[in-house]
Amino acid sequence: MKGRSKLGPIFTHGFLIVMCVVSVFPLLWLLMSAFKSSAEMLANPTTIFPKQWTLENFETVLVTLKFTVNIRNSLIISLATTLIAITISTLAAYGIVRFFPKLGNAMTKLLITTYMFPAIMLVIPYGIIMARMGLTNTRFGLVMVYLSFSVPYAVWLLVGFFKTVPIGIEEAARIDGANKLQVFRVIVLPLVAPGMVATAIYTFINAWNEFLYAMILMSSSDKTTISVAVKTLEGADILNWGALMAACAVVVVPSIIFFCIIQNKITGGLSEGAVK
Amino acid sequence: MDLRHTFRRDRNLTRWLFVLPAMLVVISLLIYPVFSTVANSFTNRTLIRPAYKFTGLTNYINILKDVEFHNAFFNTIVWTFFSLLGQVVIGFIGALCLNKVRGKIPRTIYRICMIIPWAFPSIAIALVWKWLLNGIYGFIPSMLSQLNLSEGMVQFLSTPHLVLPTLVFVNIWFGSPLIMVNTYAALQTIPQDQYEAAQIDGANAWQSFRAITIPHIKVVIGLLVVLRTIWVFNSFDIIYMMTAGGPASVSTTMSIYIYKLGWTSRMTGKASAAAVILLIFLLVLCAVYFLLLRRWEKEDL
Amino acid sequence: MKKSLSFLLVLVMLLGITAMVPAEQKELEGEITFWHSFTQGARMEAIQEAANKFMELNPKVTIKMETYSWGDFNTKWNAGLMTGDLPDISTAQGTGEVVEMVNAGVISPVPDLIDEIGRDRFSERALSDMTRDGNNYGVPYYSHAQVMWYRQDLLEANNLEVPTTWKEFYDAAIALTKDGVYGAAVSLSPNDLLGTRYLNFYVQSGGGSLLNDDLSPNLTSELAIEGIKFWLDVYKNCSPAETINYTVLDHATLYYQGLTAFDFNSGFMVSGVQNNRPDLVQYVKCALLPTMNEGDPAYGAETSHIPLVLWNNAKAPEAAKAFLAFLYQEDNYVRFLDAVPVGMLPALKDITTNEKFLANPTVEQFKEEIAIISEAISLGSAIGFEHGPSVQASYLTSQGIVEEMFQDIITNGTEVEVAAQRAQDKLTEIFDTMIN
Repeated sequence: MKGRSKLGPIFTHGFLIVMCVVSVFPLLWLLMSAFKSSAEMLANPTTIFPKQWTLENFETVLVTLKFTVNIRNSLIISLATTLIAITISTLAAYGIVRFFPKLGNAMTKLLITTYMFPAIMLVIPYGIIMARMGLTNTRFGLVMVYLSFSVPYAVWLLVGFFKTVPIGIEEAARIDGANKLQVFRVIVLPLVAPGMVATAIYTFINAWNEFLYAMILMSSSDKTTISVAVKTLEGADILNWGALMAACAVVVVPSIIFFCIIQNKITGGLSEGAVK
Repeated sequence: MDLRHTFRRDRNLTRWLFVLPAMLVVISLLIYPVFSTVANSFTNRTLIRPAYKFTGLTNYINILKDVEFHNAFFNTIVWTFFSLLGQVVIGFIGALCLNKVRGKIPRTIYRICMIIPWAFPSIAIALVWKWLLNGIYGFIPSMLSQLNLSEGMVQFLSTPHLVLPTLVFVNIWFGSPLIMVNTYAALQTIPQDQYEAAQIDGANAWQSFRAITIPHIKVVIGLLVVLRTIWVFNSFDIIYMMTAGGPASVSTTMSIYIYKLGWTSRMTGKASAAAVILLIFLLVLCAVYFLLLRRWEKEDL
Repeated sequence: MKKSLSFLLVLVMLLGITAMVPAEQKELEGEITFWHSFTQGARMEAIQEAANKFMELNPKVTIKMETYSWGDFNTKWNAGLMTGDLPDISTAQGTGEVVEMVNAGVISPVPDLIDEIGRDRFSERALSDMTRDGNNYGVPYYSHAQVMWYRQDLLEANNLEVPTTWKEFYDAAIALTKDGVYGAAVSLSPNDLLGTRYLNFYVQSGGGSLLNDDLSPNLTSELAIEGIKFWLDVYKNCSPAETINYTVLDHATLYYQGLTAFDFNSGFMVSGVQNNRPDLVQYVKCALLPTMNEGDPAYGAETSHIPLVLWNNAKAPEAAKAFLAFLYQEDNYVRFLDAVPVGMLPALKDITTNEKFLANPTVEQFKEEIAIISEAISLGSAIGFEHGPSVQASYLTSQGIVEEMFQDIITNGTEVEVAAQRAQDKLTEIFDTMIN
């Protein structure tokens, strides 16, 4: 099973290690800075490890500024967006690939036109829509708007994944007497699971990090998300660098944890012996 | 072959159930903003004053004549092209490498490490990289200077010919994980036995790569590149927070140009016109992409 | 007889007592949405405390607070004009933003509120800067002004006196640009207004203005051109090259880090240093802005009065106004000012001598600085407001045109006069489009 790798192990590991270092270094720097006092960070900008570890920044951010409330809001909104988006996108993508072969192409292309407008132009029309529907300041309204930019991407990509599923497998199942929904659930879904997981990660992170819509469509109170809270901190006219770094760390780490939890679902698929 | 028709002949309503929710969400949230923007582009509407009047094509003409528009457009093309190139190349190679790694633990570690840039919101990216690249006390210029790779501290964000490349680098840092994760996921859908069969047939590494690996992932990657092109083209946050398009508009892209028109100068009408011009360009670009993709897809049928 | 007399007496007494009982107070009720930009802990807490107290005294009133940083606040209410998401009361970034709000027709005049608090307790200038068509539109909450900050230790170590003129300042800045320290930073991000601010200092010191009497922009007067060249020299010789992209945030950080010897800021500088480099606080001192010539009288270049405004949107204006007045009650007011001592100076003149206000240790430590800043406050107004409140003045600072001009000259080598003319033309165009 070996020997057909065109990339030698030295290159492989070398490349990966370099990529890891470049990827991780900014995070390392961010985390270390969060544990430094502002004074130390400003006085010694080029050292990485804190001379004196302190938790005061995290205390300021989580307790005094009540970021825990924002974390909870972001979690609710991001998870809701991800769940709903993945559900309807998977259904739609499968439907497009299997049931609407000609129309499907047009549909997917229509979907990506949403991305052709910069968000800064769309935010006010969305705000007006939300206001007319009475959804301003509601988490549900924000989730709806997040779906508007999560679903097209999800459908788009999942179409690609569904196209890799050979139709023979499904036909075999139909012959065995399964109906459309069963085929979908039992046979096809496990095969595109890696793609679904990859898409879910992206949807979650995008929703978690999104700032502009959250700021305009929600009022900055106990309902606002964490990225708005961080941005607000940055714009304050009294600046506290330590708190700012801790706030950024608090925003970054949950996404990474989320990924760690579900990342091993990206492997799997046909190699698990679904082929009979 | 005939069995394919079994699916198509089932013209009952179930198939609509699959597609409807997504279509509903997108269309209902898409129509109003698009119409609103297009309508505004023909007026002299501003953000604050309620009164406005119809001005026809004035906005379009003024923008197309504007030197700053040309500058922004050119910068955007450079920004998009090189960002995409970097992201795809690095993401792709990264996924291939990752796929070759045996052993669950190293693979997991690599995977988690490489996805970290993805988790950064744009404000964190801007703050951290501005600090690291800072020309006075930044870690990176200091290192380069100490290792004698540069004379003095390199001013990454204020030297005009370095600004855009630096921003592109940060964008590549941020965007490669997306390509990598999706390519990797696509690679996982390739059944191992296809490789085995090919080996038995006497194919070498490069041939099996071309015949098996590429076809399986090219649809996913192709679509991803289209999507990514549009996103990067319109991306705003990172550039705005790192250099605000400066110095002297060196890093101003279309999205920053539109932002300045719509939010700083408050000229909604003109900004809408710029957005529509952008839309038309992207539609044309996508059309070209799709032609290429279809040709590419047909290649292996 | 005696019985009826005593009965009459009791009756009269009873009547007397009832007459003394005040007429029943009308109870305040309603919901108040308050948008403010006090995002950091101490000020937010002070306001929240005041709100809680008010709600206790008026159980039928609920106050909801939302916080936005300054830049976001502007974006938010601009968007709110279309989406209908607007507050009942709010702060504003300064007198400039009040003018914008009045122009957009979203705030209500509050002369009765000012009278209730005490019209003569406010500075006349502060009130007039928020007046349009004879109506008061905002209540000044706190004030600050731009002064020159320096590092005493660095001056002393180099045997330098505190500069009083621009030439002295320039020479001192050059002398201190060594050993990893920079004399003074000049930050020019179009996202911010430092370029405009600095140019304004210079022009004002020469008795000029960035706006003509007819409110058209003036970047090409001899004084303005001189000013542009002056700051270009400072940038070239005393400032790190990076600052061409810097916003206020990055700029102030340099001073906090001890990397710049001079800076221009309001009293907020003290809190910034306290929060970030407490070891440097003892060396941080301020002086009035440099003048053009030796012996020139002091001038005010930029004073900010942060107002509270009442929105047309308010559904319970009586309760809202009552709450606003409540914020000015001695205890609440001093508590709020204590959150950022030296940075926020009272808008009510009598509070400056109030013993509770003076009891704050930082106020005590920086007495001299407060005196200097107070003097600067009384002399000046917002940039461009020398000609009275105008939308043009607020556009001067919000469009980033001056900063772009500086960037153009530095990066592309454009001639100063040419760049200045171009920038002036751009501003003229913007004024025409936005105001007609």
